[in-house]
Parts: sequence; structure tokens; C-alpha cells
Amino acid sequence: MNFDLSNKKGLTRRKVLVGGAATMSVLAAPAYLRKATAATPIKIGIPTVITGGYAVLGSHVMRTAKLVEKMRNASGGVLGRPIEFIYKDTKGEPADCVRKCQELVERDDCRIFTGVVVSSEARAIMPKLEEWDAFFISHGNGDGRLTAEFYVDNFFRANTSAPMGARALALYLKDAEQKNFYAIGSDYAWGHSSVESFEAQITKVGKNISGTVFAPVGNKDYSTYITKILQSGAEGCYVALQGDEGRAFYSQAQQYGLSDRVQMVTEIVSQANIRALGNDSVGLVGGSRYPFTYENEANKNFLSAFQAEYDGEIPDWTDGEMYQALDILFKAMENADSDETKKIVAAMEGLEVDSVKGKTLMRECDHQGENQGFVVRVSDMGGSEPVPEILKIYPREMITPDCRSTSYSS
Amino acid sequence: MDFFSFLVIQSLNALSQASILFFIASGLTLIFGIMRIVNFAHGALYMLGAYIGYTVAIYTGSFFLALIIAPILVACFGIVFEKLLLSPLYKRQDGGAYLMVTFGLAVILAEAIKLTWGADPKGVQIPEMLRGIVIVFDFPFPKYRVFLIIIGVLMALSVWLFLEKTRIGLLVRAVSQNPQMVNALGTNVVFIRNLVFAIGCGLAGMGGVLAAPMVTAFLGMGSSVIIDAFVIVIIGGMGSFLGSIIGSLLVAFVLVFGAYYVPDLALAIIYLLMLIILIVRPGGLLGKEE
Repeated sequence: MNFDLSNKKGLTRRKVLVGGAATMSVLAAPAYLRKATAATPIKIGIPTVITGGYAVLGSHVMRTAKLVEKMRNASGGVLGRPIEFIYKDTKGEPADCVRKCQELVERDDCRIFTGVVVSSEARAIMPKLEEWDAFFISHGNGDGRLTAEFYVDNFFRANTSAPMGARALALYLKDAEQKNFYAIGSDYAWGHSSVESFEAQITKVGKNISGTVFAPVGNKDYSTYITKILQSGAEGCYVALQGDEGRAFYSQAQQYGLSDRVQMVTEIVSQANIRALGNDSVGLVGGSRYPFTYENEANKNFLSAFQAEYDGEIPDWTDGEMYQALDILFKAMENADSDETKKIVAAMEGLEVDSVKGKTLMRECDHQGENQGFVVRVSDMGGSEPVPEILKIYPREMITPDCRSTSYSS
Repeated sequence: MDFFSFLVIQSLNALSQASILFFIASGLTLIFGIMRIVNFAHGALYMLGAYIGYTVAIYTGSFFLALIIAPILVACFGIVFEKLLLSPLYKRQDGGAYLMVTFGLAVILAEAIKLTWGADPKGVQIPEMLRGIVIVFDFPFPKYRVFLIIIGVLMALSVWLFLEKTRIGLLVRAVSQNPQMVNALGTNVVFIRNLVFAIGCGLAGMGGVLAAPMVTAFLGMGSSVIIDAFVIVIIGGMGSFLGSIIGSLLVAFVLVFGAYYVPDLALAIIYLLMLIILIVRPGGLLGKEE
């Protein structure tokens, strides 16, 4: 084999210089390449309700996610990488939710989920998490059983559950003048969980339950149920109806004068409902998963960012809980220095965060977030709309049920 | 409360519920009777009525003005929709095409409402004179529900008189039976169809305005009510106006008493009722079997 070094096609000084420059570029590249790797976004799936009966809750999930995405990415992202939310419409249907999560895993290579609205949807995807090697943090799923009998390793719940909401209310009502309570709930997982917890806890503090009833999902006329409540002679009425159903019930209860005769109490006070009901909502007592009126540094920062972004609008409970869930998720990822499921799970167990609702502990034994319990009353404080005034805050130890349980031993 | 008082109260509850159901079901059946169109967008038009009613009530401060303006605007919208999208399909005689177009309109309307008014629900306040309760056998009953019963009866009577006692009503009935013959006799069938479609949409819009103070205006209010409306129309007989009144009453009474005695089965009983009627009278109570 004969090499002619003088051949123009062979090695020349120019080629050596070009090669050298190229080598220098490669040597110099790591910083750039590292930046390119670092710039690969962390994908977070939001399989939420975009259309359908719970679209209001889904819209709150998305607006808070968009705000958090903007805030986080402006401050360098998470683990030095930008975050990217991928939204999917589940319509509030468990089967659709499973399908959308499968899409997120297979098409988008996304293995972190949050923003699921309906408890039955959460229940449907939980058994698949291990197979997908996916992580799911609940921002608002209330069914107590999710961290009890349905527990799985890759699921955490940052939010206050239905038993926790009912517990706070029961503790508050212990000293109330009302003795007999009627309970009405929506005929699905959360409604049943909420009413059952309330029933168990209110009887424990020495009060009576006059009756319980479950209205079909999507029910719009509550005249019969109101008749039943009036007939029962109850002095208080526990309401576990959310969204469209809750508003319909409160409007009609007001029209029947039920609210004047019976103290209405509810597990979740929602700002969207307050806004739609106007002064008809004043006087309603309830648990609050996130009262925006709570004063601490984290909530102050969230509130000002939210109101600056959304023209002074008041954040609803879903906004606050979504913000809290994302905050906890990012803290766990940073502690784990990874976005891998197993590492996030390990980092989240026992994690304590100063959240918008005070200190929240993600307990290890069942992955339930220990949150303070808030009881509020809707009051006209002279603003553009009535707001939840905090009546009582219960420490998280009193509110969180026994481990992997929906009940309380004390 | 004795049993008689209970019966009276529950009957009043049922009548007020029947009134809302009547507004949406009667419009649906009128449109089907004349045009043989199963209007899937009817629920969305009911929702549009509620949202327009909310806006009119906010800007004018008058619920009653909303009750007049919103149905007119929804009827106008119906006319434009019928002219632009449905009339080109008449020659095809294809029921499937109507289904697709009206279903498409329902989806587009729902999204348009979301873009225009936002995702949050909108509360419509009851006017001061309709607030409060009347006492019936020592039991509170809302004045607003009394108003609903009265306006339901008045509208049912008005539409019935229009169909039975006026010349245009006569033509409407004639078109429902033999449009070709009516056309051959020189009547403008297109106008009659357009008129009926507008009335049907207007009734749905009025139902939306009336329902808003009870349930608030919200996205999805149309899809939940359209199923009840179809059940009523099937029970009463497709295309029968009187059938829609009877169907509304039957469904409302079954819902109210069912929710009291067997709350877990209240919804199922309606479908059971529908099945029984379809077995005994396949065309519905007052409909014709085709």
C-alpha cells in the first residue's frame, strides 16, 4: 500500500488545522452538550378533565400548572432542566384516564403524573403504576381508601383526604349546638367515603345521624332530598356534593329556606361555588382543603404570583392543592437528584415541606400527606365576593387517620 | 307531616321539575315532528339560553328581560343554523347526516361557550319578588318553583293553542303529516320548517334561563339534560307535543317519588318505564309507530 502525503486529497496543513479546530470544538463542547442534556425537559403528565362535568376542576388544575411551569422555568427549572406539562383529557372517566396515562408512557415517555381530578380515575390507574414504572402524586383525590386498602408504592397523596376533611368538621362540630345531623353525598367513591367518615366521626363526638342519602351523579333537582332533610328534623346537614351538584343543592336549599332552618356544613368549600352562588353561600360552614386566607410565607408568595397572573382572581382549593402537590414533587426530585420513579418514591417518604397550607409531611407508612385541618365559614368581608373566613385550624396529627386506614383510633 | 301533605308537596316538587323538562322536550319533539331531525344540539341550545340569560340579567339587572331576550336570541341562532347547515341536507333525506351535523354543533357550541364565558359556573339570581317561600301544609315551598309551574302551564297552553287554533298551527300540523302535499298547495314549507325550528330552539333557550337560578349556568348542563329530554320524547311519542307534556310529567313524578322511596334506583326506574312503554306501545304513548 502506497501513501502519497503530498497528494491534495491526503493530509494537508489546512486539513490539520480544520481537524484541530474541530477537535477543539469537541473538547470545548461538553459545556454546551451538558447544557443540551440539561435542557431536555422533565415531562409531567396531567391527565385531567378538560371536557365534561368536572371541567371546572380540570381548568383550575391546568391554570395552576401553567403558572408553576412559568415560575419554575424562569428560575432555572428542576434539576437544572425545564419542566414541561403534557395535558390529556380524561373526561372524568376512569377508562379514559387509564388510556391517556398509557399514551403518556408509551408515546411521550412521560412517567410522572398528577392533576387527576376524580378519585375513581386515580383508583383505576394506581394498579398500573408499577408496570409503567410511573410515579403519581395526587393533588386532590379525596377517597380515603387510596392510601389505605388501595395503597400502592408509587402513589402519594399530598392533599387532604375526605376522612381528614370530615374529621376536622367533626372536631369543630363537637362543641356546636346542633345535636342531629343529616348527611347527603354524591353517589360515587368520594361522596360515600366522605359521608361514611363523617358519620363515624360525628357519632364519636356524641352527635346523632338522622339519616343519610346519596344522590345520583349528575342529579340536578334536589327538592326530594330537601324534603327528606326537612322531615328528618335534623339541625345540621352535612353535604358531600361537589361542583355542579353542590351548587344545585345549595341554590335550591336556599330557595326552600333550608339554610335558615338547618346549619349546612360541607367537607369542601369551593371558591367557584361561592362565586356562582353569591350571597346565598354566606353562612356555609365547611372544611377547606386550601383556604386562600391562610397566612404564611409560602401562601403569600403563591397568592401574589397567582393574582398577578390571573387578573386578581382568588385561587380555588384545587389551585392551592395543585400548587402544593407540585411543590412537594419538585422538592422530592431535587432531594433525589433524579426524575426516576424509584428515587422519587424514596425521597418523598418522610419529606416535610413548608407548603401553602403550613408544614406538610409525606408520611412513609401509607404515603398520605399530613396536612393541617381547616374549618371555615363563608363570610361577606366587603370584597367583590364572599370568602372563606378561617374559624379553626387543627394540627395535622389530629386530622390524619391511622396508617393505611380511613379511621381514627383516638 | 301527614301522608296527604306529603303527597301535595312532592307533587308540587314534581310539577316544578316537569316544567323545566317540558321546555326542552317539547322543542325537541316539535323539531322532530316537523323535520324528522333528531336534534343533538338541543341540550347545547338550552345551555346557550342559560349563559345568554346570565349576561342579559347582569347587564340589564332584570331576570324577566333575560327570560324574553335569551329565547329570542337562541331562536335567531337556530334560524341561522337551520338555514346554513341543515337546509342543504334536506334533499339527501339522510337522518345520519342530521345526527352528525347537530352533534357537531353541540360540541362546537360547548367549546364556544367555554371560550366566551370561561369554564367557571355563572350564578343567576332570582328576582326579589320571586325570592322566599310560601307555606303549604306547614311546609316551605319556594315562590320560584310556583313561578316555574305557572310559566310551564302557560307556555304549554300557548303552544298548544298555537298548534291547534291558528292557521299557521294548522299548516305546521299539515307539514308534519304530508309536506309534499302542503308544498303543492302553495304553502311555503321552508318557512314553516324554519319557524318550527326557531320555536323549538327558543323553548330550549327559555328552559335554560329558567333552570339557571336552580343549577347555575355551567358547562355540561346541556349534555345532562338532553338524555332526560330524549327519554321524555320517546315515552310521549316522537313528534307528539301532547306526548312531550305527558312524558315530562311522568318522568318528573317518577324522579321525585323514586328519589324519595328508592334513591338508589330512581334513575333506573325512568329507563324501566321507557322500556315498558316501548314494549307496550313502540311509538310512545301518543306517537305513531312508523
